Amino acid sequence: MEQILKILDIEGVRLAVGLLAVFLFVVVNALILTWAERKVAGHMQLRIGPKEVGPYGLIQPLADAMKLLGKEIITPRNVDKPIFYLGPIMIFIPVLVAFVVIPFDSYLQVRDINVGILVILAFSSFTVLSILMAGWGSNNKYSLIGSIRSIAQSVAYEIPLLLSLLAVIMMTNSLSLKDVVVAQKGIWFIFLQPVAFIIYFIAAVAETNRTPFDLPEAESELVAGYHTEYSGMMFALFFLAEYTNMFIVSAITVTFFLGGYQGPFLPGIVWFLLKSYFLVFVMMWFRWTFPRVRFDQLLNISWKALIPLSFINLLVTGGLLKL
Amino acid sequence: MSIGESIFLLAIAATMGGALTAVFARSIVHAMMGLITALFGIAGLYVYLNNTFLAMMQILIYVGAISILIAFAIMLLGPDSKKYTGFSVPGKLISALAVAAVSVVMFVRFILTNLKGDPHAVYAVTAKDLGRIFTDRLVLPFELISLLLVVAIIGAVMLSISSRNSRGDK
Repeated sequence: MEQILKILDIEGVRLAVGLLAVFLFVVVNALILTWAERKVAGHMQLRIGPKEVGPYGLIQPLADAMKLLGKEIITPRNVDKPIFYLGPIMIFIPVLVAFVVIPFDSYLQVRDINVGILVILAFSSFTVLSILMAGWGSNNKYSLIGSIRSIAQSVAYEIPLLLSLLAVIMMTNSLSLKDVVVAQKGIWFIFLQPVAFIIYFIAAVAETNRTPFDLPEAESELVAGYHTEYSGMMFALFFLAEYTNMFIVSAITVTFFLGGYQGPFLPGIVWFLLKSYFLVFVMMWFRWTFPRVRFDQLLNISWKALIPLSFINLLVTGGLLKL
Repeated sequence: MSIGESIFLLAIAATMGGALTAVFARSIVHAMMGLITALFGIAGLYVYLNNTFLAMMQILIYVGAISILIAFAIMLLGPDSKKYTGFSVPGKLISALAVAAVSVVMFVRFILTNLKGDPHAVYAVTAKDLGRIFTDRLVLPFELISLLLVVAIIGAVMLSISSRNSRGDK
């Protein structure tokens, strides 16, 4: 054990192991979540979901992945080639960066950066950028409309997202994710900041483009939105990124509001994953409970309700802290 | 080559490459992507200068917000609009000189202020320090900037209201 820790102490080895672990996690997470999404959807609609491939249909996502790998990558004529190819690659930058700072356990963190949460929030803007690139590069009206919607949506929802997290940061006096977790040793922030929690979770669902906020890829009107023209592995990359983003958003919620890796009896990593995947389940639950909102409703929720509410929450938090 | 040097070279390459793309690209969307790359490269330079906070702010504000604003503007004008070619030669010269003069002044100032300091000193400016400076020594410029932003927001709201009214008349 000591020998392993000594080897892990070397910066390069740590980085390599970390990156490998992140890649493995991204893939396994997406495989599990695609299976879970179908199962959850099935049971919510009184169906069974996949059951033929493997026990309980567990190998179904592997079969799907094989199918996607085998498919031809089609490049439509008249696409803006550099932008078209860069889109699905760029969408992975924020995903990889976020894993560097998320504390899975008290010792399981690639790097504790003192502006950790800013790293995640700053790089998450790359998601919008790559959606814009995909939409523009595809040279397809459905893609472009989808990506423009995505931009308007993320501009609207990034503000309440940041403001709700700011309330917690004001309480902990630190931007490091580890400090935020440690500050919740006694009481979770969900009890001290319930309004911020609700605002954050709504905004987070919107940022991941999940139903009821899935207008960028609304399949009944836009075919598939920004990834209409992508096939095979390039489509799979968008898919991977979406599921990983679901996990990251849930992980940040757990870190900020649900005590992070802290919990009795079980080891920290187990608690962290349990809490995170519960939130992922809640997001899937949303998908089969709420209908898609209209675009003007979507923007109104953010600009007229969430943003004023989060400002008031911030003012109250600041006032109470100074009292 | 150490990690620091490679970060520096990568950041410089991204900044210069992006800037050149922004200037020479035919399509305006490519130019925007070039600009974003350049701004991202500058964030890399901040990381090299040991200021992660500033780097993250650079990405959050410029790569995240400003670039999206530019994207909005491009989509509003129509992304296929051709490059404007009617600039006169004296006009080009004057603007080039103005930009060069500003850069030279900035560069000279930078050199002069940094000649006195210790070249190997490491300054780690934390978010806390910056916050303190903004609410203490630089409170007046800080408030002036916020006033400017409020004016800009009110102006934008007024413009959108008046354009909506004129559309309603028809």
